[in-house]
Amino acid sequence: MIIGLKDTVKLFGISIIACCAVFVCTLFLNYNIDLVAIENEITTEAGVAMYNAQVSMGKVTAVVTGGCLVATSIIMLLFYVKNFIDTHGKELGILKAIGYSNIKIAKHFWVFGFSVLVGCALGVVIAFLYLPNFYEVQNAEGLFPDFDVQFHPLLAFLIVGAPTIVFTAISVLFAYFKLKNPVLNLLREKREYKTKIGKNDKKDLPFLKGLSSTTLKSKKTLVFFVAFSAFCFSAMVQMSLSMNEIASETFAWMILLIGLILAFITLFLSLTSVVKGNTKTIAMMRVFGYEDNICSRAILGAYRPISYIGFAIGTVYQYVLLKLVMTFVFVDIDNMPEYNFDFKALVITLIAFVITYELIMYLYSLNIKKLSVKSIMLE
Amino acid sequence: MIEITKITKTYSNGTTKNEVLKGIDLQIADGDFTVILGASGSGKTTFLNCLSGLERVDDGSIKYDDVDITELSDTALTKFRKDNIGFIFQQYYLLPNMTVEKNVRMGADLAGNQEYRAIIKAVGLEEKAKKYPSELSGGEQQRVSVARALAKKPKVLFLDEPTGALDEETGRQVLDYICKLHKERGFTIVMVTHNQNIAEMANTVVKMNSGRIAVIYTNSTQKTAYEIGW
Repeated sequence: MIIGLKDTVKLFGISIIACCAVFVCTLFLNYNIDLVAIENEITTEAGVAMYNAQVSMGKVTAVVTGGCLVATSIIMLLFYVKNFIDTHGKELGILKAIGYSNIKIAKHFWVFGFSVLVGCALGVVIAFLYLPNFYEVQNAEGLFPDFDVQFHPLLAFLIVGAPTIVFTAISVLFAYFKLKNPVLNLLREKREYKTKIGKNDKKDLPFLKGLSSTTLKSKKTLVFFVAFSAFCFSAMVQMSLSMNEIASETFAWMILLIGLILAFITLFLSLTSVVKGNTKTIAMMRVFGYEDNICSRAILGAYRPISYIGFAIGTVYQYVLLKLVMTFVFVDIDNMPEYNFDFKALVITLIAFVITYELIMYLYSLNIKKLSVKSIMLE
Repeated sequence: MIEITKITKTYSNGTTKNEVLKGIDLQIADGDFTVILGASGSGKTTFLNCLSGLERVDDGSIKYDDVDITELSDTALTKFRKDNIGFIFQQYYLLPNMTVEKNVRMGADLAGNQEYRAIIKAVGLEEKAKKYPSELSGGEQQRVSVARALAKKPKVLFLDEPTGALDEETGRQVLDYICKLHKERGFTIVMVTHNQNIAEMANTVVKMNSGRIAVIYTNSTQKTAYEIGW
């Protein structure tokens, strides 16, 4: 077996993102289906207005959250497949050299879909454990007649089976595409570096600035993940702090928890990949006499502006989303307060973000200090 | 002057202990070209790593003039390497996603050396300054590694099998560059090799065997890279 289950354990980031996506989608879609089933029993004017608002809210939340997380999972999956091929070039090259076809090797990448299955299944299970409570919270004002949680097999297939099949197919096809690399390149673990002269190569940049710039450009996916991590932190934390007047406390906690899980998982995975991908560069810099803090600053510091950009986008996103929801979804609901930008939430979130981000960066710079120059050079 | 006194180094692997350096004494004069010869497993690379401050010794001292590097903290040792040491390795260890020029600047910027382009020219790679290592031949990559090491103006240059991955012609070219620059700039060279012929280019030859120095001798005349056998 080319890819073991051990390798799929490393894909826990995808599992967690899939779990969050499926959890949110199951809550809102299952609730919507059950709510639509009792539509005829809702007769009061306030009940109809709340029904329309909740159905629309459910659709918006499932599409926005689910879509965003699915897109992120796909990018993360492609990143993992590419990374696996890059780091296992020798084994894969040998298989190709002795006559295995690209498609025969690529078929083994179906295992990557397993991480999606685990995440989705877990998401459904957690959602069903929470659904009774969610139904109560959604109908806290008693505007609808009582209705129970129903299990919908088609919905379960669409949010567990279908993503697993699609993600498995994506893994195999992407691996097939990447395995088209010539055998010798795989054997020599020769990566494709740009051969066109970039703007920064023309500029007379000092080495450390050039290194920061190259670190960012060489792995654009990681730039996305660092920005996404800050985006999740900013959007979800601010949203949870700002929505106390328009949603329940439980809902706010749920948003906060999902945001923090996504932010930490993606930041952890990205920074680990950054440090791993640059171990040889760091080792050589240390051999030549660059101090540890300079190495850390050149490699990790490059991501700082990206994370603040992600934070800013997250701030705008959550404001626009809540404003749209309040303007269009809850327009017919009585006594809904007007939603304005919450500066207090922004300040609290920003302070928490700065402290958390800088602490994580510091921990990773300690990690860089621990890298053994000799063991890296002996690899 | 580098003064090495009774250095020992042992690697432990669980219950197995491997004594790699068994009390080595040696003196290397400033500006000297010293070659350390020895078969595989004789301890020559470990000796070079200890001597250059990449590895810690278990016992003994390594003094560069008055500075005993075995007593320096990690930070002080890094600064010492920054100010004094240059490295050239068999595997080049160039940064693959940076151009020739940026690789050389890695060394030059440490020493505040603005003349890195002259060094690139000196190793014959002026035309390829904007190329990436993957676009260069093995010999050209090693010349980048030479330029990178020299750009930081080292007082001592350590070379670990610098021609080990090169063919004869390219190996001679690289050695010729190094010797030429050594004569011009007068830095100290300590080179590890298993190639007996290269020893004829050195002032001092140190033969190692099983973690000890077996023989030390000096060459009355030094041959050039094109005069030695291969």
